[in-house]
Amino acid sequence: MLFNSLTFVVFFVVVVTVYWSMRSWNARKNFLVTASYIFYGAWNPPFAALLFSTTAMDFWLGRQMARAKGHHSQRGWLVGSVCMNLSMLGFFKYGNFLLQNFQWLLARIGIIYQPPHLDILLPVGISFYTFHSLSYTLDIYRGVLKPTKSLRDFILAVSFFPQLVAGPIVRAGDFLPQLVRPSALRAGQFLWGLLLMTLGLFEKIVLADTMLSGSADRIFGYAGPLVALDSWLGVMAFAGQIFFDFAGYSTCAIGAALCLGFHLKDNFRFPYAAIGFSDFWRRWHISLSTFLRDYLYIPLGGNQVRPVRAATNLVIVMFLGGLWHGAAWTFVVWGLLHGSYLVIERVIRALFENKAWAGNLATRLLSGFATYAAVCVAWVFFRAPDFTVASRMLGGMFGGHAHGDAILSTREILQITLVTAGMILVHWTLRDSNIETAVMRLPRWIVAAAWALMACAIILTQGNSNAFIYFQF
Amino acid sequence: MPSSISNFKNKLRLPRLFFRKPSQLESIHGGPPLEYERPIPELPWRGLTVVVVILVSAATLVWELYVRSIGYGPTLNDTDDLWVQQRRAIKPESVVIVGDSRPLFDLDLDELQKGLGKRPVQLAIAGSCPFPVLEELANDQSFHGTIVCSVVPGMFFAPGGPLLETSEKALKRYKEQTLAQRASHHLGMWLEEHVAFTKQEDLTLDQLLKRLPIPNRPYAQVPPRFPPYFQTVDRERRTRMIESCANPEGELARRIQQIWLPLFTPPPPPTYVPKELFMANMGKAVEARFQNTAKAVEKLRARGGRIVFVHFPHSGQLKELEDRLNPRTRDWERLLKETGASGIYDEDFPELSGFDCPEWSHLSAGDSVEFSKRLVPHLRKALQM
Repeated sequence: MLFNSLTFVVFFVVVVTVYWSMRSWNARKNFLVTASYIFYGAWNPPFAALLFSTTAMDFWLGRQMARAKGHHSQRGWLVGSVCMNLSMLGFFKYGNFLLQNFQWLLARIGIIYQPPHLDILLPVGISFYTFHSLSYTLDIYRGVLKPTKSLRDFILAVSFFPQLVAGPIVRAGDFLPQLVRPSALRAGQFLWGLLLMTLGLFEKIVLADTMLSGSADRIFGYAGPLVALDSWLGVMAFAGQIFFDFAGYSTCAIGAALCLGFHLKDNFRFPYAAIGFSDFWRRWHISLSTFLRDYLYIPLGGNQVRPVRAATNLVIVMFLGGLWHGAAWTFVVWGLLHGSYLVIERVIRALFENKAWAGNLATRLLSGFATYAAVCVAWVFFRAPDFTVASRMLGGMFGGHAHGDAILSTREILQITLVTAGMILVHWTLRDSNIETAVMRLPRWIVAAAWALMACAIILTQGNSNAFIYFQF
Repeated sequence: MPSSISNFKNKLRLPRLFFRKPSQLESIHGGPPLEYERPIPELPWRGLTVVVVILVSAATLVWELYVRSIGYGPTLNDTDDLWVQQRRAIKPESVVIVGDSRPLFDLDLDELQKGLGKRPVQLAIAGSCPFPVLEELANDQSFHGTIVCSVVPGMFFAPGGPLLETSEKALKRYKEQTLAQRASHHLGMWLEEHVAFTKQEDLTLDQLLKRLPIPNRPYAQVPPRFPPYFQTVDRERRTRMIESCANPEGELARRIQQIWLPLFTPPPPPTYVPKELFMANMGKAVEARFQNTAKAVEKLRARGGRIVFVHFPHSGQLKELEDRLNPRTRDWERLLKETGASGIYDEDFPELSGFDCPEWSHLSAGDSVEFSKRLVPHLRKALQM
C-alpha cells in the first residue's frame, strides 16, 4: 500500500480513528499489529507469512541468546540470526544476481553453464524489515538490549506500518521502549504529524514525481549521446528526485507514527548542504548509515585501528552499503565510489585541517559544492541500469559528446534548475537547524499558507501513485 | 601476529564492553528508556488546522467550479486499472475488442450486444499498438472467443517505442496488480464520477505546466503534445466524444486536428544510428510483426477462437497522411493474406464510409451508434455467425 494512494488515505483514517477510540493499551497494540499486516498483505498476502516467520525466528533467537551461558554460545545464536536473515535476503534479493555471476565466472574458465532463471518475486521492503529484525538480536548480543517477553510487541516493532517497507530503519531498541506505556492523544503532536505527512507527500508527488522524474527518466533512457548541459541536468534531476522521493517517504512515516503517538528519528538532515562525505552520510539515510556504523564499521575496528585498515574498513562498509541497495554491480560501484570519497576526504582532512583557510566561508562553500558534484557523479551509477548507460552519461557530463543531442525542453530545464536551486538553498539555510525550529520561527500565517499550498498542490497533481524508489530495495 | 580473521573476532567482542544493567522500567523490555522524543513546534495547532482546511476546501471548490465552467465534466480516467478490470471480465467465449482509440470511440457496446448476442469487452487502448494484447489473448489457453481487432497500420506495425510500451504497461499491470491498487482504483472511480477536475491526462499539475507557452531552444527533441479532454469514459470503457468536439468547424475539433498530424507523423531517425541501419532494423521489426501476428492468429484459431480485423473511418488531412504513409496494399492486404483472417475495410462499403470524423480520427458519439449498427452485419458475415 503506497502512502500516495487513495487506499492508504482510507486505511489511515480508519486506523487512526479506531486506534484512538480504544482504551486498552493492549487492544491498541493488537490492532496496530493487525493493521500493519493488512498494510503489508495488501501488496502480496503470502509474503506477510514470510515477514512473520522472520520476526518470530528472531524473537526466539533473541530469547535463546539471553538464556545462553557463555560468550561462545551467545555468539552461536547471533550467527544463527545473522545467517537466517541474510540468507533470506540473499535468496530473494541476490539469488539471480549470484547465479549470473557464477555463470560468468565459469565462462571465464571455459565452462558453459546455463543456470535456471529463478522466477523470484522480491518481497517489498525485505531489506528494511530484515534490518529492523536483525537489530534486535545484534543489540541483545551487544548487551544494550534485553529480550522482550512479548512476541506481540516485537512483531509490532518490526512490522509497524509507517516504517515497514521503506524505512527509516527503526531499531527494535528504539521502538520497544515506546510500547511500555501508552501515549496520550495530544492535538499538537497529532496535527504536526499530519503536517509532516503533507510535507512528505508534497515532496514525493509534486517535487519528485511531477517536477523531476520525467526529465531524469528521459535523460537516462535516451539511447544516444547527450550534450553536457542535458547530461548534468538529468543527473541533477535524479539527485533531487531521489532525495524528495526517499526523504518524502521518511517524513510521511515520521508523521504517520506521530499521529499514532510514536516517535521515529530523522532519516535525513539537509544532505545537499553537506561539507564533505562523512558529513553527507551523517545527513543522508541516517538510519542505514548509523546501522552500518554500529553493526559493521565499529565491530571491524572503526577508527581505533591503523589508518590503512580504517580506510579499508570504510570501503568494505560502503561496498556492502551499495550492495544492500540492489543486486547489481552498478550499486556496488556507487558504494565503492562513496567509500573512496570518504577515504580521500580523510587524507585531505589530515593534510589541511589545521590550515587557517580551512574553515572560512569560501572554503566551506567550495567544499559543499564539490561534495554535491561528487555525489551527483556517484548517482549516475545508482540510476543507470547498466555500465553502458553510466559511461554514456559520464561521457556527456565531462564534455565527451560536444555534438551530442539536446533533448530537454526549456520548461524542463527551468523546472530542474528552480527545484534544485530551491532545494539547495533550503538545505544550506537549515543545515545546522531542524524543521521544527524553522516552523517555530516562521510567522503563523506563512505556516498555514505553506501547509494549504502543499495540500492544494497534492490535490492538483491528483496523487498519481508512482511507487517510491526505495520500495525496490 | 594475529591474523585478520582473529582480529575481526576480537573486534566483534568489543561492543560487549558497553553492557550496562537495565533499570526497572527497562526490565519490561530490556531496552534503554525512551530517550528520544520528537520536538513538537509550539503553535496554535487547532486554529491553524481550521484555517488550512477552509483554505484547501475553498481552493478545491473554486477549481472544480472553474473547470466545469470551461466545459469539463466528471468522467472516468481511462487508466491501466480500468483496463485491467475489463481484462479480468473476459470469459472463455467472450467477444473482445482490441486496438487503438478508434474502436474505443467508434463502437457502441449496446449495438454490438444486440447484433452479436454477447456484450463485448472493450480492451482497445488509446495511443497503442494492439499487438501485445492480441498476443496475450492468443497465449491465454482459457480463451477461445472472438477478437475484433482495429488496425491503424502506423500503430499496429510500430516496431517499438511508446505505442508498444502503452500496451505492455497495461499487461504488466494486469499481471502485477495488487489488492491495494485494486482498492485504490475503485475508490478513484467513485471520485472521478463526481469530480470534474480529476483528469489525469489534462488537468494535473504536470499537464498544466506542459501548457505554459515557453519557447524551446533550437534542436530540442520535445515529444509532441496529446489532445486535450474531448471524451467521456464509462466503467466498461465505452468512450464518447463530447458534444463541443462534435462540430468539425468548432475550436476544439480544429485544435485536435492539428495535434493529430505531428502525432501520426513518424519521428525522424535518431541521430546516433546510421539512417540505413535504422531503416533496415525498422524493416526487420515490421516483418517480424507480420510473422508474429500470423502465429498469434494461428494459436487462437487452433483453440476454436475467431478474429476479424477492422479498419475504421477517418477523415481530412489525417486520412491523406495515413494513406500516404501506409498504403493499403502494403500493410492491410498483406496482413489479411498472411494471417488468413477476415477483414472489414470501411472504404469498401458505402454504408460504413459515409461518416465524417469531426476531429479527423474518431466518430462523434451519435455517429458511433449508427456506425456500430451498420457494422454488425459485416462482423457477423466475417465471423460466420
